[in-house]
Amino acid sequence: MKVSLSWLKELVDYRLTPQQLADKLSLNSIGVKELTNDYLELDLTYNRGDLLSIRGVAREIAAITGSRLLFSALNLPDYQLGETAVEIKDKKLSPIQCVAKIEELKVEPSSPDWIRKLADCAVRPVNNLVDVTNLIMLEFGQPLHAFAADTVGDETIIVRTATKGEGIVTLDNKLRKLSSQDIVLADTQGPVDVAGIMGGKDTEVKESTKTILLSASMFNPLMIRNTSTRLGLSSEASKRFLHGLTKTNLLQAFAAAIKMYESLGGKLTAINLVGDLKDKSRAVKLTKKNVVELLGLDISSDFIVSSLKKLQFKVEGRGADEWQVSPPYFRLDIALEEDLIEEVARMYGYEKIPAKKLSGVKPLHKEDPVFKLIYDLKIACKKIGLTEVQTYSFYSTDVLNALGTDKEELVKVANPISAETEYLRQSIWPNLVEVVGRNLRKGYKDIAIFEIGKAFNVGQDGNPLEDYRLAIALSNETDNPLEELHKIAQHLNLHPKGVNLKQTKPPAAAAHLFHPKRFMAFEKDGKQIGGLAEVHLRVLNKLGIEKRVAVLEIELDYFLSSNIITP
Amino acid sequence: MEEKISRIQKNYLEKIQKASTLKELDDIFIELFGKNGQVDTLSKQFNQLPKDELKSVGPLFNQIKQELEERIRVKREGVREEIYKSLESETLDIKGAGIKKRLGHLHLATQFKKEIIDLFGKLGFQQFDAPHIELDKYNFEDLNIPKDHPSRDMWDTLYIDTSNLKVEPGQLLLRTHTSNFWPRLMEKGQTPIRAMSFDRCFRYEAVDVRHSHTFNQFEIAVVGQDITMANLKYLSDYLLKAILGKEAKSRFRPKYYPFVEPGVGIDSLCVFCHGKGCKICSGTGWFEIAGAGMIHPNVYKATHLDPKKYTGLAWGFGPDRILMLKHGIEDIRYFLEGDLKFLQQY
Repeated sequence: MKVSLSWLKELVDYRLTPQQLADKLSLNSIGVKELTNDYLELDLTYNRGDLLSIRGVAREIAAITGSRLLFSALNLPDYQLGETAVEIKDKKLSPIQCVAKIEELKVEPSSPDWIRKLADCAVRPVNNLVDVTNLIMLEFGQPLHAFAADTVGDETIIVRTATKGEGIVTLDNKLRKLSSQDIVLADTQGPVDVAGIMGGKDTEVKESTKTILLSASMFNPLMIRNTSTRLGLSSEASKRFLHGLTKTNLLQAFAAAIKMYESLGGKLTAINLVGDLKDKSRAVKLTKKNVVELLGLDISSDFIVSSLKKLQFKVEGRGADEWQVSPPYFRLDIALEEDLIEEVARMYGYEKIPAKKLSGVKPLHKEDPVFKLIYDLKIACKKIGLTEVQTYSFYSTDVLNALGTDKEELVKVANPISAETEYLRQSIWPNLVEVVGRNLRKGYKDIAIFEIGKAFNVGQDGNPLEDYRLAIALSNETDNPLEELHKIAQHLNLHPKGVNLKQTKPPAAAAHLFHPKRFMAFEKDGKQIGGLAEVHLRVLNKLGIEKRVAVLEIELDYFLSSNIITP
Repeated sequence: MEEKISRIQKNYLEKIQKASTLKELDDIFIELFGKNGQVDTLSKQFNQLPKDELKSVGPLFNQIKQELEERIRVKREGVREEIYKSLESETLDIKGAGIKKRLGHLHLATQFKKEIIDLFGKLGFQQFDAPHIELDKYNFEDLNIPKDHPSRDMWDTLYIDTSNLKVEPGQLLLRTHTSNFWPRLMEKGQTPIRAMSFDRCFRYEAVDVRHSHTFNQFEIAVVGQDITMANLKYLSDYLLKAILGKEAKSRFRPKYYPFVEPGVGIDSLCVFCHGKGCKICSGTGWFEIAGAGMIHPNVYKATHLDPKKYTGLAWGFGPDRILMLKHGIEDIRYFLEGDLKFLQQY
């Protein structure tokens, strides 16, 4: 959200340049994404829903700069009027739904002041009646919706889930098909609003609109999130519904909106506030001891209390250095003592936290020997003249095509970014062969590379397996690169006692991948744990390679599970 | 003209038929389709033909062009199949030859990893290995990122297709961060913990010069009875000075991550302009380098440790980006695409 700086000045009396303000915010509150002469944009995180409003930002600035707020809470007057027709079908969908009927309005362009405020916040002005809802949303963070009353069946607003087969044309002129998992506002005929996301086209304010039904709601955020994802539709409003709204703020925003419509000559003639109108209050215990122990910093009790009070927390003493702290209604993110400690820390200034060495207690857990094995192997490979490459954990489409692998055997990504990230690599050597091809095309003639990394397979129990492998590829300008690769394998001591390296036929399933004669297997206890082979020319040709290439691949688990002495 | 075309057709079909090596076929291809080849030369004469003739010659020409191309392709396959068959007569010969002398290289990321692992090894940190294909539980839920929670939108995740697996849909994913190692280690209950990981992570992200769906993270986690934010500060400066030089220092800012509280964003003083402001730090004198914080109480609860008894810290950053800055590497794809010219510089 872009926060208009001039609007902010109307709400809080801070004495800083825009740059100073942005620096202060980023060091004590939240990152600033962008700063211009007209606005600043915060790098919002979902925990601080209160900062999705200019009032919220103003409160934060007041707390961290010690400046004065220029607004006070506005309470909804006790109107003695008739009720609008409102119904919440299920409290799980929505805890609160307010609808006001305002008559005698006239659609016009908004005043220059309103239009400037909207423009500074990058919101497009529509007309005075719609602009009120956007101005209130920006100032309070509470989305509102204005329906043209004459288009709402029986002027009734019902909160319910959509029924199967129902649809609605939204404000962007698109027909949206709804499911029973979507919350809607409906009139007596059908949906008029995809709850929390976007209003319906049929009931929008038109040139001729004189009477509106003004609606303010809160909805189940998980359901809104799912609908938003399913429809691929999000809006300034949906963002706020997801980040968490409060009833106190909703009622204040509703009162302010009614006042603005009255300033346009509107007359409130009916109103209904349905649901539980009070926010739950919370209290969290805080002790000085825990503040000091978590931050590693001696902070005075006075500082703790005054910081929290500046942030509008209610602090009650419970004996020396222990408090019961109630966050203000708008701070939904505060639930634990650690949350309070963070508040104290940022008021103190994170940048002032001193550095302190870890004390001497060493860990109990032992390092997995695989790390030493991997590094030692890498050094051995380097010493013998190989260049380490690291390739993606996927098979590219070129590799898949060259291997002709049965895709059923591969671990598959459910939502690949493209076909290049759809299947995880089952072995590493094919990716090395692809790299050999790439470098041959660049003019390299002698290529000796290796990679140590993970390969992914489907285990017999139906679960995916991953294990570390060493793979080497060699193309050395000869018609028999296996000869040299075999020497390299011997030099690396990859088949010490307990592991046999012997000539055999490639396994039937892999026969098309390797040279029919130039194939050797690493075997341990009768099990194949790797191989050394010339890649079949057919595979190489498909990858655009006309030279001979030999590869080696061996599972590292076997070095670890036995007492084999590694290089 | 038609005659000319037919002559070429006949002539070359014969040549292709007779060819027995890939080299011969390559030569024929160049004669036909190369620059100033038969096809090229012929088509240059077309603009001199009367319109009527062109109408009939054009399609014929195209048809024959395609036929010749296809014949070469088929013949090439045939020759290749012959070569493939001849492999049967080759033998495994591993007697001769020594190992050619070459200059070996470690990948830049491996060298950096070694440097950092040794650095923290001196402080008693031990590496811990965690899976790349991970359960939702360890990647998200145990880290205080519940299902359907909007904070999940912070990670664009690649999920594993479970239709062939004995796993519930949506439960397996490619880990989005190395942080999955801490719940796995914490639930073993072997405290105190001083662990680290330098490894690969994945995100649903289109690849360009600065972004990749596959990248490295380095992360540490410390759990004990007296771990503080001041320790976090010490470790941050310790790392930054080691990798960016003595001048480097850290600056903490509040930052939200669900698995830590308080959460910290770590900036480094920009060593490229000595804090004066340059392109790398967008003129601010500082650049963001890491995310960190004190381990959230809900992470202890999820891993059956008592949050009243333990405190802990965690710290993670992207080594690829630092390497790019340090070495002036302009494209992140260099790391994983195996270009020898790039790899052998280091």
